[in-house]
Amino acid sequence: MATVPLYAVFRGDFALLLVSVDDQDTIEVVTQKVAHHVIHRRLPPQDAAMRVQYNHRVLQPDQTVSQAGILPMSLVEVFYDT
Amino acid sequence: MPKLERSQWYDLSRDMNWQFKYVSEAEVFPEALSHSHGIPAAAWWSWEEPYKISYREYVHNQAEKDAGVYSVRSAIARSRLFDNLDPGWKAAIVAHYGAIAMPEYLASIGEARMGRFGRAAAWRNMAMYGTMDELRHGQIQLSFPHELLKKDPRFDWAHKSHHTNEWGVIAIRHFFDDVFTSNDAVSTALQLTFTVETGFTNLQFLGMAADAMQTGDVAFGTLISSIQTDEARHAQIGEPTLRVLVQHGKKAEAQRLIDVAFWRSWRVFALLTGMSMDYYTPLAHRRMSFKEFMLEWIVKQFLDQFRDLGLERPWYWDLFLQELDWLHHAFHLGVWFKRRTVWWNPDAGVSAAEREWLEAKYPGWHNRFGTYWNSIAENLRQGNVGHTHQETLLVVCNMCQLPVCSPTVGAPPRQVTHNGRVYTFCSDPCKWIFEKNPARYAGHLSIIDRFLAGHIQPPDMAGVLAYMGLSPAEQGDDAMNYAWAFEQPRAAAASAS
Repeated sequence: MATVPLYAVFRGDFALLLVSVDDQDTIEVVTQKVAHHVIHRRLPPQDAAMRVQYNHRVLQPDQTVSQAGILPMSLVEVFYDT
Repeated sequence: MPKLERSQWYDLSRDMNWQFKYVSEAEVFPEALSHSHGIPAAAWWSWEEPYKISYREYVHNQAEKDAGVYSVRSAIARSRLFDNLDPGWKAAIVAHYGAIAMPEYLASIGEARMGRFGRAAAWRNMAMYGTMDELRHGQIQLSFPHELLKKDPRFDWAHKSHHTNEWGVIAIRHFFDDVFTSNDAVSTALQLTFTVETGFTNLQFLGMAADAMQTGDVAFGTLISSIQTDEARHAQIGEPTLRVLVQHGKKAEAQRLIDVAFWRSWRVFALLTGMSMDYYTPLAHRRMSFKEFMLEWIVKQFLDQFRDLGLERPWYWDLFLQELDWLHHAFHLGVWFKRRTVWWNPDAGVSAAEREWLEAKYPGWHNRFGTYWNSIAENLRQGNVGHTHQETLLVVCNMCQLPVCSPTVGAPPRQVTHNGRVYTFCSDPCKWIFEKNPARYAGHLSIIDRFLAGHIQPPDMAGVLAYMGLSPAEQGDDAMNYAWAFEQPRAAAASAS
């Protein structure tokens, strides 16, 4: 268990956010942690699944941060899969 | 006996150039402080200031200016003029004093360095006037807010801000340290006097002076108009320095120094002046939008000077023009959202009428930024004020120290690994500035780096606010107490009809 600080953006939002996740968090949890700072605050919710893009690939929701090889201070993008 | 005309004695009084016999040129003018760019000592002696003044004239002029400014301050202090100012305008001047007053003192260090290490006596002479100018600007911009302390304790930030680690102050300090506080004489002439003062302080001082008079803030308008008369004189140190460099084949070096300072100036002034002009100044008193002001003063007038002196547009010019349409709107949104982390009360500036003005001045504003404000307003109407505060830090750029904003965030990350450390940049020019001279910048820690390194404890927003020196009484809140949010339904109805 280790904290992994990420530079996260929710697609359509206006700025890059510092979001701390755990290396054992699933990608699904990562989407929730990023969405917490954006959805209902600056962007409306959508009836669609949220995904994470990292290093030009979309990650599986059940993968952990560690399994996905996400490094601290990396940029991740969360988006609605519409 | 009649006095001599100034022209008959002026050169003799200030031309103290001579060849050294007992010490070397390098000992008198160390490169680290002077930076001759390899141009021979005597070649600098052709340096000629466009604006000539004697010490006697300087003292006489400055005494008259101070008498005028301080008399206005005294008269205003006894009146209720300040009490009647618009809350948004008050935000603009509280922000201004905190951002500008202490850097004026720091600018006197840069001027004094030119006064000692400038390569021509005429230049050193001008820079000593510049040193005294900047001391004056520091003093009067502390004196005025001190008078207003009884109206709002946040005016204390005129003095306090630069002794804190507030995020905006870190950004301003990083920029000013780069271009004048810790800069050599030649680079200071090009980066401070030519670029910042000739170009950008016009925006803050002339633009804000005009807005101040429109708004009824006679004190602030008088103050910064008086300052600008000094700036207009000592800013002219840059041009003759630039001419010497270009004449001796150093155009590329001069261009790089100016390109660095221009980009860095743009970002800081987009934050400070952009918000003040387009969101904090009362709508009825806005003469021009920030973009219109930039087009007039920078894109047209300053660029004409570039051409006249044989320089090119900065290489990132197209990007700069694109950013005129969106950067300060994004900064403003970020500042308002994390308003607890600033020392003034940000004015959202998005009432129905203000939105119409923004859309007219920046076509597409509503689709790009208005939708965020719709969500914010809805939360306020629902009583979810907590949802309108940022609970985490916005990532800042390792060069300009300002938030990495849209549409930059959709682009590939601009990250550089240098000596094992990862640096993140908001834009190609900020990354370029770092890569041109990493040793100069690599040791600095952004507010994000400090947070991740454990300097901020506890590692949460309460710890962040304490680290920034912001007590609950000093933390910003909405200037209008959210009144604008409750007229949004009418605005939506109006725009739909």
